[in-house]
Amino acid sequence: MDAGVKIIDSRGAACPGPITDLARAYRNSKVGDIFEMWATDKGVKADTQAWATKTGNEILESREDPDKIVIRIKINKR
Amino acid sequence: MKKVLIIGGGGGGLILANHLDTNEFDVTIVDKSDLHFYQPWFLYIAFKGSQRKISRPIGELVRPGVNFVKDEITEINLDERKAYGSRKVVYNYDYIAIATGTSPDPDSIPGLRQIYDEYGDYHSSVYNSQKLWSHVKNFKGGTIAIGQSSPTCKCPPSLLEGAFLLEERLRGMGMSVGTSDPVSPSNVNDPAKTGTKGKSRIVFFTPFPRAYSAEPMNRVVEPMVKERGIEVMPFFDVDTIDGQNKTINSLEGESLKYDLPIIVPPCKGPKIKFIPETVQDEDRFIKADKNHMKIPGYDDAFAIGDCNTLPTSKTGVTAHLEAMTVSELIQGKYSEFNGRINCPFDTAYGKATFVIADYNNPVVPYPPTATKHFMKMSMARIYWMTLMGTADPIFEQFFKFTTPEKLNKKYASVE
Ligand SMILES: Cc1cc2nc3c(=O)[nH]c(=O)nc-3n(C[C@H](O)[C@H](O)[C@H](O)COP(=O)(O)OP(=O)(O)OC[C@H]3O[C@@H](n4cnc5c(N)ncnc54)[C@H](O)[C@@H]3O)c2cc1C
Repeated sequence: MDAGVKIIDSRGAACPGPITDLARAYRNSKVGDIFEMWATDKGVKADTQAWATKTGNEILESREDPDKIVIRIKINKR
Repeated sequence: MKKVLIIGGGGGGLILANHLDTNEFDVTIVDKSDLHFYQPWFLYIAFKGSQRKISRPIGELVRPGVNFVKDEITEINLDERKAYGSRKVVYNYDYIAIATGTSPDPDSIPGLRQIYDEYGDYHSSVYNSQKLWSHVKNFKGGTIAIGQSSPTCKCPPSLLEGAFLLEERLRGMGMSVGTSDPVSPSNVNDPAKTGTKGKSRIVFFTPFPRAYSAEPMNRVVEPMVKERGIEVMPFFDVDTIDGQNKTINSLEGESLKYDLPIIVPPCKGPKIKFIPETVQDEDRFIKADKNHMKIPGYDDAFAIGDCNTLPTSKTGVTAHLEAMTVSELIQGKYSEFNGRINCPFDTAYGKATFVIADYNNPVVPYPPTATKHFMKMSMARIYWMTLMGTADPIFEQFFKFTTPEKLNKKYASVE
């Protein structure tokens, strides 16, 4: 795992859902930070994309592993 | 006899205490307050002016044999199995369960303290709910900004419940709600629709992508939000509040002007010093594993209910189910919490629904009905029995017939 990557483990979260953890991490972040989100909630891809567009941040990667969905986000704006 | 020490006499702490065999265990609850509150009723105090008594002494809610001590715990040393009270009293234990709920933190957002002191809110206390009611009932028109100021909050549906009940109240007072309120010939004689008593806007702001965070339930409630003229500002995570200019600014860079602010403060974990301090996260919530509520590294320490970091909603029902699991574990049986949530959701005008899901099944798009509203209202009466354990058979049946797998088959497939 790369140094400086913050893991946000939201596996199992359905309500209020993974955006809770992402928003909490965003509050304490700085430009250049990289988040790696782990989730099982199917809606997470669309929601993080909408979040990134709204906040001006960047989705670096979005993939489905057998046990989880992994999304990497770069913080460009704070 | 092994000593079980429970910090907090809320839903989680009481249900755990009342399910332990006091012939086998020496059970003590320590709470800083001697009263237990039925928090869901804060909504009806704040938006309907209810004067119902919603507290009872904790000492009267424990089964015979369970000890209750009024004291505030300030420090817990998990390595030495000791908890420290306010007057340097030391509590030793064989097992500890921390069930301290959340504490409101209006000072963590610039400008929020002043709003919190002046207007109250509908999440923190009876006093704050009464304060908010005095503003709601005297509201003369303008924009009401209502929402949560941080993504972590108790009872996710309660935020939108507040907006729904507020809308019902304003129309009941003869006000119009929303910018494009239709005044058609059919409702010209209805003061609630013509808005003869003033015009209002309700703007519901939320850090989530939509009115209700979980998408399947949003599909159910969003049409109601629109129909009632409630405006939604999604992805609005409160950064600062400018009381002078009556504006709320979001982390995402937007601003919202208000005449009446209804802002639920961020909630944090307990103000207790832990040894080791690594058991708390940056918001002081206590880390625990999601199936057994054990604090990592300790077989004798649990965190249950709102105070823990489980990836589930902070609700009374989850606190209840987590407490049941921990009581079995302490008594040497195997048990696992599956993340089940079951949050009642009042959609106003006499209807309600439930937000149901677990770790493996998404939220059910469960439609509101009058029967579910009746169930939510009945809960206020049987609540005290659920704390004592006497309502367990009803609950078991209810949970059996409403598993998210079953309900999703019925409701998610009809779309
Ligand atoms: C408006 C609103 C509506 C809600 N609606 C619902 C609903 O419909 N259904 C539902 O299931 N849930 C609902 N909830 C959520 C529910 O009330 C909580 O999730 C539940 O009370 C959590 O129980 P708990 O035992 O974890 O914490 P709490 O019930 O908050 O109890 C914590 C206890 O710990 C004590 N304490 C704290 N710190 C210390 C300390 N340092 N030393 C000693 N004692 C301490 C406190 O005094 C308190 O008595 C609602 C909440 C609100 C605010």
